[in-house]
Amino acid sequence: MTKPVIEVESLAKSFGDNKVLKDITEKVEPGQVIVVIGPSGGGKSTFIRCLNLLETPTAGKVAFEGQDLTTLDQKSVNKLREKMGMVFQGFNLFPNMTVLENIKLAPMKVKSVDDAAATKRAHELLKRVGLDDHADSFPSSLSGGQAQRVAIARALAMDPKVMLFDEPTSALDPEMVGEVLNIMQELAKDGMTMVVVTHEMGFAKEVADRIWFMADGYIQENNTPDQFFAHPETDRAKDFLSKILM
Amino acid sequence: MKKRFGLLLAIIVALFMTVVPLSTQHAQAADNSLEKIQKKGVLVMGTSPDYPPYEFQATVNGKSTVVGMDVQIGKKVAKDLGVKLKIKSMSFDSLLVALQTGKIDMIISGMNPTPARRKNVAFTHVYYQGGYDIVINKADKAKYKNKDSFKGGTLGAQTGTTQYNAVKKQTKNTASKGMTSQSDLILALQSHKLDGVAMEKPSAEAYTSNNKNLAAIPSDFDMSSDATSSAIAFRKGSTSLVNKVNKTVDQIKKENLVKKQYLPAAGKYLKTNTVNTSMGHYWQAFATGVEYTLIITVCSVFFGFIIGILLALARTAKGNIFKTALRWVSTAYVEFIRGTPMMVQVMFVYFGLGLFVNLPALTSGIIAISLNSGAYVAEYIRGGINSVNIGQTEAARSLGMSNGATMRYVVLPQALKNIWPSLGNEFITLIKDSSIVSIIGVTELIYQSNIVRSDTYRGVAPIVVIMVLYFILTFTASRILNYFERKMQHD
Ligand SMILES: Nc1ncnc2c1ncn2[C@@H]1O[C@H](COP(=O)(O)OP(=O)(O)OP(=O)(O)O)[C@@H](O)[C@H]1O
Ligand SMILES: [Mg+2]
Repeated sequence: MTKPVIEVESLAKSFGDNKVLKDITEKVEPGQVIVVIGPSGGGKSTFIRCLNLLETPTAGKVAFEGQDLTTLDQKSVNKLREKMGMVFQGFNLFPNMTVLENIKLAPMKVKSVDDAAATKRAHELLKRVGLDDHADSFPSSLSGGQAQRVAIARALAMDPKVMLFDEPTSALDPEMVGEVLNIMQELAKDGMTMVVVTHEMGFAKEVADRIWFMADGYIQENNTPDQFFAHPETDRAKDFLSKILM
Repeated sequence: MKKRFGLLLAIIVALFMTVVPLSTQHAQAADNSLEKIQKKGVLVMGTSPDYPPYEFQATVNGKSTVVGMDVQIGKKVAKDLGVKLKIKSMSFDSLLVALQTGKIDMIISGMNPTPARRKNVAFTHVYYQGGYDIVINKADKAKYKNKDSFKGGTLGAQTGTTQYNAVKKQTKNTASKGMTSQSDLILALQSHKLDGVAMEKPSAEAYTSNNKNLAAIPSDFDMSSDATSSAIAFRKGSTSLVNKVNKTVDQIKKENLVKKQYLPAAGKYLKTNTVNTSMGHYWQAFATGVEYTLIITVCSVFFGFIIGILLALARTAKGNIFKTALRWVSTAYVEFIRGTPMMVQVMFVYFGLGLFVNLPALTSGIIAISLNSGAYVAEYIRGGINSVNIGQTEAARSLGMSNGATMRYVVLPQALKNIWPSLGNEFITLIKDSSIVSIIGVTELIYQSNIVRSDTYRGVAPIVVIMVLYFILTFTASRILNYFERKMQHD
């Protein structure tokens, strides 16, 4: 039996009195694509940010390859974060650096990769996301879709074991959503382990191995896409689907 | 007679009340003052060279030098002690503190031995007995006879001096106007803002003999002889030294050396000064001023920036008790520096730290201004850090970058770009504010212009020159800053 990449146990997170995550216990197996869906404000972002400790859990355990992140010191957490790429809704490219420099920064500063090797790898990744001709552009000159593809390449440059996506297409104009989803789909095909928070139900149906339906601080349902969309079990999920599938 | 004992001095003295008495007590306990000077081989004389003919700056063999009758006296004192004389210039207000904190060994600066001063320092016998004249425009000579002729008019004098008090107290129906510099007063007189200026006889003589449009009349102030006399000041308790120097002073008086030799010699320098009073003739003085202003500004900006970054980072420190303490201390530091005048900070560093390490005035000035600027820069940087979207930090951390690397490679570069205009402003402000170190005798632009003014008896021309020089400096600086600002734009 293979070890789960991510294991969450009795995870809880509150902001003051606001209990956003109440009690979550789930696993992500290697190569799995998990799509997290649920109503707005349900805690999806908080959950995915707890996975790489951008948010500190109030209680419970978040383990990466068997190691509980919540018990580690900052240095070890930094070390493990290298293996968990993250893509944000707002891209968060570094505006003071070119596309190429954005991608090279972390490998060079964190892994001490030399400039030539980092540059070579960055160009490979840019080719993969179809943007090698923009290597020397600054982020401000890119469209949203292009920026998000660069952000994906930047995360991939650290050779992560798992990729976390928090609504990667929500900030995009509709005509650009496709180009980003295509890249993600290819990643999945290549066997990347992924946790994706999204409202793109088409992507969820087509690419996900499991759907995690999240509301009110719990994962209410954990099922295959076929099962979940055809036969939602909880009222909460039925209600949610009826609203978005209209 | 100069008798300034300004508020600032009072503050400084209060600051060191706890420390200074220790050193003076020490001197009293074992009086080896004479022996110490002779062993050192150098006698450092403090003076405020803006008071011709007592002491002033003149160009000797192409170099700006302190000269005057007090310098002659200092030379004689040193010679009789068998040591070398070294002259340190500073503002009159700073002299007493400088003596008490050991920056200088004695004061010869037309200082009169008032009872208040006697409490703090030891005086020799009086070496010169002066008196007061009133300088007027020659055209008014028929109108004025003495202090009582100015009813309905205005009399000026240097603030904080004995003659200033006399003008205020011993005239009736006459307005009094105080200014800090003798040259300003003369200028005000010539532009008819004042009807007369009360000053010491030797000074009055110097002004009238160098300016054909001025004349001197007797003041007829009622003065105790104590208030019109000059004596040399030493640290309290230096009895052996004072006794020895008194012998020199007595000889000077007996042989009437001041009138016979020192004043005429000083007058000669005044003449060489006034031969050519064109500003071009003084370009070297201004060049020195520009040089020091630039040295101070550039060094202070550099160190201030480093201090600012460290403080800003310390202010964002969170976590354990140590980090919280660090944050607390840096916050307190920033608030304290921003809440106290830079002038006091400059004096604190020069005189205060001077008790423990002997820092030259320039170094002290740079330290003080860097420390001051650092507090302001820290606030700009903190604002700059806050202005960088939190998403930038999250992206960097999610890539495995440490907090430090994130700051250094991602946040600070963007913060700096955002606050570049503010930093530039700070730089330009520093060019101007560096003038504050003139009070501890650093020869930057303001100091140099004051010297040129008292040298040439021309009030306005040096001001115009330094205005233009300051403008050239600040304008050039802002052009350079704009260039870098443009280079940082990536659009
Ligand atoms: N840093 C924070 N401080 C305080 N409250 C927060 C913070 N972040 C999130 N919350 C609260 O936590 C709750 C869940 O927010 P979260 O962003 O995780 O929801 P979400 O499911 O991602 O919603 P959306 O679909 O709108 O992105 C919300 O009520 C939000 O106000
Ligand atoms: Mg969200």
